[in-house]
Amino acid sequence: MTGELLLSVRQLVKRYGSTTVLDGVDLDVAAGSALVIIGPSGSGKSTLLRCIARLEPIAAGTIMLDGKFVASSERVGQAQAVAAHDIGMVFQSFNLFPHLTVLDNLTLAPRRVLGLGRAEAEARARDLLAVVGLAEKAEAYPAKLSGGQQQRAAIARALMMRPRLMLFDEVTSALDPELVGEVLKVMRTLSREGMTMLVVTHEMGFARDVADDVVFMDHGRVVERGPPDQLFAAPQEPRTRAFLSRLLGRDGDE
Amino acid sequence: MGAMFDIDVVVPYLPDLASGLWVTFRLGVISVVLGVVLGLLLALARLSGTRLLAWPAYLYIELFRTTPPLVQIIWFYYGLPPLTGIELDPFGAAALALGLNIAAFFAEIFRAGVEAVPATQWQAAKVLGLGRLDTLRSVILPQAARLVLAPTGTTVIYLVKGTALASAIGAPELLRVGQLVALETFRPVEVLTVIAVAYFVLTYPIALAFMALEKRVARARA
Repeated sequence: MTGELLLSVRQLVKRYGSTTVLDGVDLDVAAGSALVIIGPSGSGKSTLLRCIARLEPIAAGTIMLDGKFVASSERVGQAQAVAAHDIGMVFQSFNLFPHLTVLDNLTLAPRRVLGLGRAEAEARARDLLAVVGLAEKAEAYPAKLSGGQQQRAAIARALMMRPRLMLFDEVTSALDPELVGEVLKVMRTLSREGMTMLVVTHEMGFARDVADDVVFMDHGRVVERGPPDQLFAAPQEPRTRAFLSRLLGRDGDE
Repeated sequence: MGAMFDIDVVVPYLPDLASGLWVTFRLGVISVVLGVVLGLLLALARLSGTRLLAWPAYLYIELFRTTPPLVQIIWFYYGLPPLTGIELDPFGAAALALGLNIAAFFAEIFRAGVEAVPATQWQAAKVLGLGRLDTLRSVILPQAARLVLAPTGTTVIYLVKGTALASAIGAPELLRVGQLVALETFRPVEVLTVIAVAYFVLTYPIALAFMALEKRVARARA
């Protein structure tokens, strides 16, 4: 299932003013693998994703995707810059373009950035909409869709660019509970088909089922990493244990 | 003494007033087009994040919106020839001054509109690989345009009425023609009443058009 090293993050530091949000993060992601990042709020997990997506400038360190550099605090000699669309991202708040139909949301970037013709872009869009179960919603505006449908459309939009890595930033956190499942199902399918994914989520069930590895972050650092069975059943670090017991304890109350 | 208010005295002058209305209309169209185009460029310059562009735009906007349009019109008519050798007829001077003036107001409206589009829209476009210009053109400006419809409509109406200021330099627009008719007939109240109605007939459709646009946009997004 998993192969070569695709993403490598080295000694990544991110600061907001005098606050250090990421404090020397190292992270490797193998091609075709799904990595789930968990951790308390403020641990820096979303910021890590945003740095990899180049939405945030970094203070120090290097992010490389398959030998091409994504971001670096130093000049990276011969290394080429990665194409922006090689890394796709899906947000908590969907961020569809509200003035465009679902179909136009999907085709805009492929036509402008990849130079696809309208027919080709629309064919690709309709295929992907079928995959995420939105074939009938191509002509609808985002506001007419439920949250789950919007998020599935956003995933399809990201896939239009055929990214090599997909980042999911708490993509089910803004959804009504009954809509979470349909989005996770799409992500499961995606992972099964070999998409490399980095997922920040509070859905422990998803982490258990889909993740090849789970990464626990706290205070801007990677504390522990391991296969879900191991990390959930027998966490090595006290902080991981404390976080998981808090989380599971809260789940038990519901 | 005849009737206190006798609108019939204006009737023989209706063709003159109609030609004045036509000049007013053209003056309005030209200065709106000039104002919108220049206003958009000024707004983009201010938003560019490049000082070399943002500062001149800022200076321009403040200069033109803090001085009276009437002063600007007179200045462009009488001041431009000795300073630049460019001589404009009253119509040209007024169109230029009004267009340049209203551009400052459009610029501020458009800037506010662009800034009101959530930053997450820029981010969504960026992770799709869209560049700044593509994002602006296809994602941000269409949304900003919806946000600025109402203030833009108000400003257009304000400007079309404001063309009356061109009467000060003798441009043959509606008010100027009206003044001449009033002098001939000694019936300023009647003439001005007709003129006021003519302005209403010209501007109310603009108000209706912008209202219809707003409704259409609201329907698409509901």
